[in-house]
Amino acid sequence: MMQYFYIIAIFAGINVILASGFNLILGYGGLVSVAHPIFYAIGAYVSALVAQKLGVPIVFSIMLGALVAAATSVFVSLPSLRVSGDYLVIASMGFQLGLLHIINNIELTGAAGGLTNIPSMIDEPYRNVIFLVVVWGLVLGSLWLIRLLVSGPYGLAITAMRNDEDAFVALGRNAIRIKVTLFALGSGLAGLAGGIYAHFFLYLTPEQFGIFSSAALLTMVVVGGAATIAGPVLGAVLLTALPEAIRFIDLPIAIMAPMQGVMFTLLIVLFLFLRPQGLLGGREGGLDAWSGTAETDSASDEEGAR
Amino acid sequence: MDLSWGLVGQLAWTGLATSTFYYLFAVAFALVLKVNRVWNFGQAGVMVVAYFAMYTALQLWSAPPLVAIVFGMTATIAVSLALEWFGFRVLRGRKSSVLTYFIFTIAISQFAIYLGELTFGADPKTLYPSIMSPVILVGPIAISHWDLRALAVTISLALALAAFLRFTKDGQFLSAVADNPELAEIYGIGLGRTYAISIVIAAILVAAGMYLVGTRLPMYPATPLNQFLVLAVVATILAGIGNVFAAGTAAIILGLIQTFSILVISSTWQILIVYALIFVTILLFPSGVVLKRSSRKIVRAGASASGAAAPIASPPAAKEGN
Amino acid sequence: MILNCLGFAQNSKAACTPSIHRRLSRVWLAGAVAVGLQVLTGSFASAQETLKFGVADPLTGPAAIFGLDQMQAVRWAVEDINAKGGVNGRKLEAIIADHQTKPEVGIAVVNKFINVDKVPVFITAFSNVVKAVAPIANREKVLMLSVGANSPEIKNLGEYVYTMFPLADIDMKALGGYMVKVKGKKRAAVLFVNHETGIEGAKVFAQSFKDAGGEVVINESYEETRSDFTGLVLKVRSANPDMVHIHSNVSDFTAIVAQMRQLGLTTQVTSFQTAFNPKMIQEIGAGAEGIIVTAMAPSVDDNPNVAGYLYRWQKAFKREPIGLPYTQYFYDAPYVVAALYKWVLDRKLPITGENMRKALLDIKTFDLPLTTRIKFNDDHTVDSLTYFWEVKNGKFQVIGKQ
Repeated sequence: MMQYFYIIAIFAGINVILASGFNLILGYGGLVSVAHPIFYAIGAYVSALVAQKLGVPIVFSIMLGALVAAATSVFVSLPSLRVSGDYLVIASMGFQLGLLHIINNIELTGAAGGLTNIPSMIDEPYRNVIFLVVVWGLVLGSLWLIRLLVSGPYGLAITAMRNDEDAFVALGRNAIRIKVTLFALGSGLAGLAGGIYAHFFLYLTPEQFGIFSSAALLTMVVVGGAATIAGPVLGAVLLTALPEAIRFIDLPIAIMAPMQGVMFTLLIVLFLFLRPQGLLGGREGGLDAWSGTAETDSASDEEGAR
Repeated sequence: MDLSWGLVGQLAWTGLATSTFYYLFAVAFALVLKVNRVWNFGQAGVMVVAYFAMYTALQLWSAPPLVAIVFGMTATIAVSLALEWFGFRVLRGRKSSVLTYFIFTIAISQFAIYLGELTFGADPKTLYPSIMSPVILVGPIAISHWDLRALAVTISLALALAAFLRFTKDGQFLSAVADNPELAEIYGIGLGRTYAISIVIAAILVAAGMYLVGTRLPMYPATPLNQFLVLAVVATILAGIGNVFAAGTAAIILGLIQTFSILVISSTWQILIVYALIFVTILLFPSGVVLKRSSRKIVRAGASASGAAAPIASPPAAKEGN
Repeated sequence: MILNCLGFAQNSKAACTPSIHRRLSRVWLAGAVAVGLQVLTGSFASAQETLKFGVADPLTGPAAIFGLDQMQAVRWAVEDINAKGGVNGRKLEAIIADHQTKPEVGIAVVNKFINVDKVPVFITAFSNVVKAVAPIANREKVLMLSVGANSPEIKNLGEYVYTMFPLADIDMKALGGYMVKVKGKKRAAVLFVNHETGIEGAKVFAQSFKDAGGEVVINESYEETRSDFTGLVLKVRSANPDMVHIHSNVSDFTAIVAQMRQLGLTTQVTSFQTAFNPKMIQEIGAGAEGIIVTAMAPSVDDNPNVAGYLYRWQKAFKREPIGLPYTQYFYDAPYVVAALYKWVLDRKLPITGENMRKALLDIKTFDLPLTTRIKFNDDHTVDSLTYFWEVKNGKFQVIGKQ
């Protein structure tokens, strides 16, 4: 029975890293991107392939996966941010779907059948417990890193940018650089989560990293509370544990999955309207931490510029 | 592959016919973006509602087609109005960020899809038990009744919309509000009413498009979000924000490109073209590929019709990244 | 303090550190789940008397159209076995779960089977889930029976993974030869959906067609979610084949054939068991006449029980099951499980996955109600006859077997 909980807890830990990285991008950076799962995928596939085909020790392959994810993210964010924040959404979605499509079709990644025979990080009898400790150790490490980032002088810069980007830029600060950095850090965290996932569950398919995954991450951040440290943690834990708990209730099986989907999306909408700061947002957190910037006027600027 | 006129002709014809519903979806999306200033990813959810409303009427209540279509349209309009009144209006009032709109609209679409799966099951469905229609041969080219109907519906709706925008008061208000809502309001144009009209028009286009889809292909509840919406969004970007009919044309061109690409590349890689185009567009044509003149014409016509002076051009956007 | 930590007070940040947040949340959560488990599954105590096995199938999602009927077959089998006294007086119990055809859900579901329900054996289907959960079965030493997935790779998934269902290298091999030698076809177009089953199945068919002397003029895949096949169909038309083999899911098959017929292509179409779908005939109408599909479960002529089974479906649901051959295997699967349990109980051995596996290797050949007889080979697979069915006058009819 405990084994069951260990595995759920490992899953939850991976989701916390993912959600926290996403929060860095969405909540703190105010960047509208849904492609977070693709960096999760990049980390997972790079780590798995490098370990499998080149025999690199898993610890290093996971780090490599995270680095590649971060580097690739720059390739997406830099060109789109130079144009407009709005376009990042579309660009990231296109990148996500396009790369997933490629992964789904080339032999190297196992094509549609998925990647099997990924080397496992730990093979002893206490595998689950050891993994649990490792994962949550990394979780704490990541959270500490994020906290360091957003509470130091860099954090002040981020807040300044958030509150009034025009003034920020007028004072000579480089908003784009901050945004790209946050995007890279968040994506790197996603890559890390991906590496861990690959070497624990030992099987990867591209379908796990699509739009459904994006929606789940969004729920975690919105419901937990964007732009807070603890928000994504709560969101991730809830969203991992609740579906499992529901499994124990005797609902007619055929409606369980869409019922969960209905509940979670309804949650997002309700929170957006009734409590935009999420469960733990308090006064400073939440999505509307970004309200009042020039974002909503971008459409009219396009018109006027013609 | 033997490249005969027959083959090319058939590709062109069927490609054009199947692009019709993409045209409708793109125009609807572009219109809401232009007037309501919302990237309405919730349109996928509206599509799902339209489809299942008609499905219910046709297959569960055995209603005649006309009744089903009217019912479908009514349901779609109702949901769209609710979206605008209870959703966008509230967010607008709060001056919510693009982020919030985005999350809201995506969540609404997902919600509709899950609700659809819950109520109707997630297996693929068609509106009628059979999706075949009679075929006429014109030379080497097979033309089906569906093709003709689709083209007729789309062309009439497009013409009707164009006439509405150019010749009716409300239509011109749409353009005025699109250009400068504050100014339009000062001159007495009701914003709420205009936003409502815009989303109702979009709803009609969407419902028509879904009827065409449902009479030709089997569809999953998730198809609108995974397939149709992506193309509509790309087409809108390609055409440039504010160019509604150009978005439709872009959608048709995209559809044809996809269809003809089969001559050169394997079917597997066809969809990558759309994704690649997204990048190319954003990098090279962020303001759209289409000529900008047409939009200014509409704006001026709208401004003079509502008795306002020519809109004051806002200062050149020096905002970085936004 | 607690309220502060949960953000319900104004100065939440002041009084609380993130680590307290986290600890509290986790404690609450663990507690809630634990309490929930006790309350909601009061049947824990009595469940230990039944002989349990897990069944994971898609009950929602695009493949649910098959999964639901397959689960109905499983339920009927368990009912029938228990009505005859169960196994050594104990009742058999199927723990059914929905894996939505998603690997990560499959993993979560199997995790629960093994660590909570403590089953020694479980059944599952659909190649991507089968591959995802195989490592778990091997690691935890729980017997896994795959029913319905037919990727040839399943042979190599591990010690504890067996397939009760014949793999693609049987029926697709037979079909290739049949179409050349019996139906006299020479030029085949092969279209397949871009996933495991499609890729592997099409490969076997193409090879077998060539080996029999035919020519494969087109060999193309398409995405699972695709619905417009105009370009593909036109490409096929210009290559001028005399038959088209489509290795597909459900709706894509219908869409391709419908669009083929709309564009004037009357070519012979073949497919495999997923096309064994009465609804498809209804949607395509006259264009469905002549479609040939393979099936690897005995027909009514070869197994008298099948008639009674079909009658049961008509009486309960007024229709034939979707994917009839698959459901036949799913009906028989609990019988295999029952036989395994009997072997273990008779020898008074503890009920573990290891022993269930020993039982399988020892018994090897099972006489079953709807699939007549199954023998497990050393390579973890089973063999079967291939039946050829054709759509005649709006219904599937057997036209041959091999």
